[in-house]
Amino acid sequence: MTDAAQETSPETAPVTGEAVVRDPTGLHARPAVKLTKLAKGFDATIEIRDERNDRWINAKSPNAVMKLRVASGDSLSIRARGAGAGPAVAAMVALIERNFDG
Amino acid sequence: MAPELMRAICDEVVTRILANADELTDLDQAIGDGDHGINMKRGFEAIAAQAEEICGLPPGAALQKAGMTLVMKIGGASGPLYGSMFIAMGKAMTAPPDSQEDLAASLAEGVEAVKKRGKSQAGEKTMLDVMVPVLAAIDQPTDDPLNAARQAADRGLEATKDMLATKGRASFLGERSIGHLDPGARSSALLVHAVCDVLEGRA
Amino acid sequence: MSEHVAIVIVSHSPDVAKGAADMVRQMVGSEVSVAWCGGDPTGQLGTDVAAIQAAIRSVNGPMGVAVLVDLGGAETNSEMAIEMMADELQGGVVICNAPIVEGAVMAATEAAGGAALDAVRATAEEFLS
Repeated sequence: MTDAAQETSPETAPVTGEAVVRDPTGLHARPAVKLTKLAKGFDATIEIRDERNDRWINAKSPNAVMKLRVASGDSLSIRARGAGAGPAVAAMVALIERNFDG
Repeated sequence: MAPELMRAICDEVVTRILANADELTDLDQAIGDGDHGINMKRGFEAIAAQAEEICGLPPGAALQKAGMTLVMKIGGASGPLYGSMFIAMGKAMTAPPDSQEDLAASLAEGVEAVKKRGKSQAGEKTMLDVMVPVLAAIDQPTDDPLNAARQAADRGLEATKDMLATKGRASFLGERSIGHLDPGARSSALLVHAVCDVLEGRA
Repeated sequence: MSEHVAIVIVSHSPDVAKGAADMVRQMVGSEVSVAWCGGDPTGQLGTDVAAIQAAIRSVNGPMGVAVLVDLGGAETNSEMAIEMMADELQGGVVICNAPIVEGAVMAATEAAGGAALDAVRATAEEFLS
């Protein structure tokens, strides 16, 4: 689900979204790579946060995403700012909800 | 330097490495991955196979070609290390050496190249523990430079026994590397002895 | 292949090198060129300067090449190989100080996003930090 579809500038509120990771092993290496690759396709600044961890991390950093150690069932928050922020969050949510295409 | 002398040095160096390859491998099995003798044998056999061609070149070019042969044939870290040493020595040898100073100047470049390639210094249980003292021994006026070089090589080699390895595979052993001679220092000492013995007419 | 930094994997073992390259292709996809080599000139465990040069040459492009190596001799031989072919390299070629498998996957992921060689290397090297 995506809260806001409008484009935002860095100064305004970010576009945000949320999705639950369903893979039994969580956000392991292969999904983490898929997520960062997708994020890199957008110009917007994209960050994610695991519900068990208060820190926002750069969704375009494969190291940071893997080190987040997202477990199965965790809810991931996504926020994006800048050009294409809306479509970026929507695409990220969709990838997680599709369970990273198997 | 006469082609005959170069050929004699080349042959003797190859002979000593082949004759002691098993010992190098034994030393390397104690603290490394056990392939130093095999690798050196392969590299110097490749030099032997091209000895005619190599020794027909001027000394500087001959050293560079020999070094390049080691780089391409050895397959372990000793290829680029010895190869870089020979290549740098050859590049520094723009004219045939005819004095102790010429040889020292060439060897100085070779030792620098090894330090750079191995990101290493003397005292880290490597071939530099032989080559650095050998360079120091011939880099000053002395009555008997060949003997000074041999003695420096022997002392340098012996000193590696009590050193802690911090470079190369032996560094994984930490304290357990102490008590063993370094195989690279041993092969360097073999080369120094071979060259000195030929220059002195003893081999 | 020219819009992305390419990856070269150099291991003492051809099986390790090929396996790491397979992981990169499967996890990251095919837009990033990956080449590998392993084994010494006689096919034993080790590395081969000529084979390293051939691997780099096969993926060399204007964005440059990130090289991942395993143990000691692989790094020394890769440095030697790169220096010896300096004249023919279009982009830069750098050796990443990173574990071979993880570093290769991280580097390729960064490269897939179109990052420059410095950023690709930084991402590979960040893995252990």
